[in-house]
Amino acid sequence: MKSERLRSARRSGGSPGRRLGQFLLSREGLLLIFLLLLGAAIDIASSGSLLRFANLNNLFVNVAVVAVASIGMTLVILTAGIDVSIGGIVGLSSAIAGQLLTNGTNVLLSLGVFLAVGLALGLVNGILVSYVRIPAIITTLATKSIFRMLVFLTLGGVWISSIPFRLTNFFVLTRIWILPVSLVLTLALLIAASVLMTHTRTGRWFYAVGDNEEAARLSGINVRLVKTSGYALLGLLTAVAAIFSLAESPLVQNNTGSGFELTVIAAVILGGTELSGGRGTVLGSLIGAVIVALVQDGVILLHIQPFWNGVLLGAVILASVASSGLRLLRQRGAR
Amino acid sequence: MAFIELRGVSKQFGGVRALRGVDVAFEQGRVHALLGENGAGKSTLIKTLAGAVQPDSGEITIAGQRAQLSPRSSKQLGIAVVYQEPMIYPHLSVLENIFMGQELVSPGGFLRRGEMATRATPTLTRLGLDPSILEQPMGALSIGYQQLVLIVQALIQGARALIFDEPTSILSKEETDRLLGILRGLRESGHAVIYITHRIEEVYQIADEVTVLTDGAVVGHFPIAEIGSEQLLALMSGASKRDYQKRSSQGRVTGAPILAAEHLCVPPYAQDLSWQIYAGELTCVYGLVGSGRSESFQAVFGHLRPASGRILLGGQPVAPRSPAHAIRLGIGYLPEDRKLQGIFADKNLEFNQTASVLRAFLQWLGKLDLRGLVRATDQGMREYGVKAKHPGVQIALLSGGNQQKILFTRWAKSKLKVLILDEPTRGIDVGTKAEIHEFIRRLVDSGVGVVVITSDLEEALQIGDRILVMRKGRIVEDLRGEALNPETILSAAIGARS
Repeated sequence: MKSERLRSARRSGGSPGRRLGQFLLSREGLLLIFLLLLGAAIDIASSGSLLRFANLNNLFVNVAVVAVASIGMTLVILTAGIDVSIGGIVGLSSAIAGQLLTNGTNVLLSLGVFLAVGLALGLVNGILVSYVRIPAIITTLATKSIFRMLVFLTLGGVWISSIPFRLTNFFVLTRIWILPVSLVLTLALLIAASVLMTHTRTGRWFYAVGDNEEAARLSGINVRLVKTSGYALLGLLTAVAAIFSLAESPLVQNNTGSGFELTVIAAVILGGTELSGGRGTVLGSLIGAVIVALVQDGVILLHIQPFWNGVLLGAVILASVASSGLRLLRQRGAR
Repeated sequence: MAFIELRGVSKQFGGVRALRGVDVAFEQGRVHALLGENGAGKSTLIKTLAGAVQPDSGEITIAGQRAQLSPRSSKQLGIAVVYQEPMIYPHLSVLENIFMGQELVSPGGFLRRGEMATRATPTLTRLGLDPSILEQPMGALSIGYQQLVLIVQALIQGARALIFDEPTSILSKEETDRLLGILRGLRESGHAVIYITHRIEEVYQIADEVTVLTDGAVVGHFPIAEIGSEQLLALMSGASKRDYQKRSSQGRVTGAPILAAEHLCVPPYAQDLSWQIYAGELTCVYGLVGSGRSESFQAVFGHLRPASGRILLGGQPVAPRSPAHAIRLGIGYLPEDRKLQGIFADKNLEFNQTASVLRAFLQWLGKLDLRGLVRATDQGMREYGVKAKHPGVQIALLSGGNQQKILFTRWAKSKLKVLILDEPTRGIDVGTKAEIHEFIRRLVDSGVGVVVITSDLEEALQIGDRILVMRKGRIVEDLRGEALNPETILSAAIGARS
């Protein structure tokens, strides 16, 4: 009796064939199918440019940039928060660490500073949201413009362009099998985050806080700490994204990173994480990130005017949120 | 002929029978008091009249016409409810509040403020309000004045029956007197006034007739001159007299208290509370809504901060900073509102049941023993008879009773010194209620200090070895064994002079 119940708890599908069918009809499965179709379409329309080696490597690094930040964004959105300041975090961490990198400071030390700045900025957001209790959207809109101003002050109007080539060489050009190091690191972080979310107490805390904050507090979860650490981790991972991005295009200017928040939020929402919190997976965000990076790549390959980029991302966000809104409506109707 | 007449009205929520064949009639030009303790069915009756709840059976006639009440039609038929906590738009002006949804507009769509003010003025004056109040923001008024504005609103919209839901429970003495005066005025002008209360002395001040509700049924209806307060009190507590098992209180509770409060103040909810809780004895805390029951124990659980006083756990002073801290100290709290404070609705049974015991399932590097969690949940489900297929079921799909069992298991498995259960059986069917009472008893016998907060007197008498009675933020009685008597408890809780 007991073992039977346990088995039925574990068994979600049936035969392997049926299980595959179920996966393909799940959100992740549908996204994967969409991803393949989109890739094929872009490749055909650009007469094979997509799969050309130089482009593919470029695409992989772009996926890494978006995906690594979407891990953090997933954590924040899971707790029913949002962070629109990460473009500013990319800019400010790049500006500060970029100056160290150009004036001959040890590269590892500079990268450490890079990460530290990201973590610190994320922590500021987290503390303002969880302890000072300013709504997340307001907090991060405000910090976004402050970070932007600080970028301008740090750079003093001068671009940083002499980033050591070692950075590009390592993160973009060094490959393990066919994957650039940046993407391999991202995948490793993704697996770690996925295990964190599904197999540890910390992961449960994130889901609990997003599902019912009051119940979470009353069952002994330190809600403010959980939320703060989400923003802090997002800041840290955004700095990682900034490093990859700097390695790919070694240039820091006043508007470096602007618009990055839209890209990452689009990836996370497309991946099935709900803005109301409590629902979503890191893996879904990876698929979202691949699609978003593919769209951006397609815009370049097909020589579409670049401002279509923003239009497409906006459409992606609207379509994903609308689809989960429709799902809610259906559920309510069924009840 | 009665303006409103209910015949055989019944309503059931899940397994709970909130109204059982209620017959009652409300006439114009009379003040009719509805008296009953918490959970007697007063609120359901109001909601039925307001059209917010549809009765399962029985019929309602308004002015001689059979009526199917919806919130809209109830209003159109002239029924208005003034709720305990006024529902207002605090940032809008009094004028805008009065005419909300009924604005007078010119053909171009502009508000005709002057005309609205003119229309409101006579009613304001009649209730002794200065017309200048119309321009003030609603939120700037005291609750007493907000109530008056809502009465003005009801009168302007043509209400013929006004229902007052415990209107004086949050009013000062002066405000109460003024309100009672206004109610007398409404009676003179031929309105039907329905006055819901648990304060017997007010019934004598204002009512022409009184109907007593107990357990959803009408147990008596009298012209006010024909019934004494002793009899009313006995009727109100009548249900509690049914043969509950008299617990011998296991006689002597030995040893030091496991949890104690010394002069605990939790403003504005509770003042100067001192009590001791003993392991092996089931302590019930009884009091009406707003008596500070929940809040004073939420302070013990670190959810609220006490302003002064001490909490002693096993003789040692403790100061829980947060629920997390309280749980580490060994204090648990099952919250009163299952949906808002208890369950993670989107998640499965395993997630819900284990939320506060995850520490016990940690493996290397903080990894959780997921299989162990499922196994423990499965075991808990069988131990406490949760009716669900397996631990992977989403909790929102279960009945309230089964959800509550899952939450109870969460705390019962937490290895605590003290567990505070806030309304553990609210809104749960009778069968499950008995099961949960049994589980609570088992927990007490295992040596955990258990506190059950309840507004159900019958429940308190049925399961409590000892009952602490709270009123207006203070402990007014502390009774054990033979002294547990429904009338003493009820009169202490409502502050009747008897």
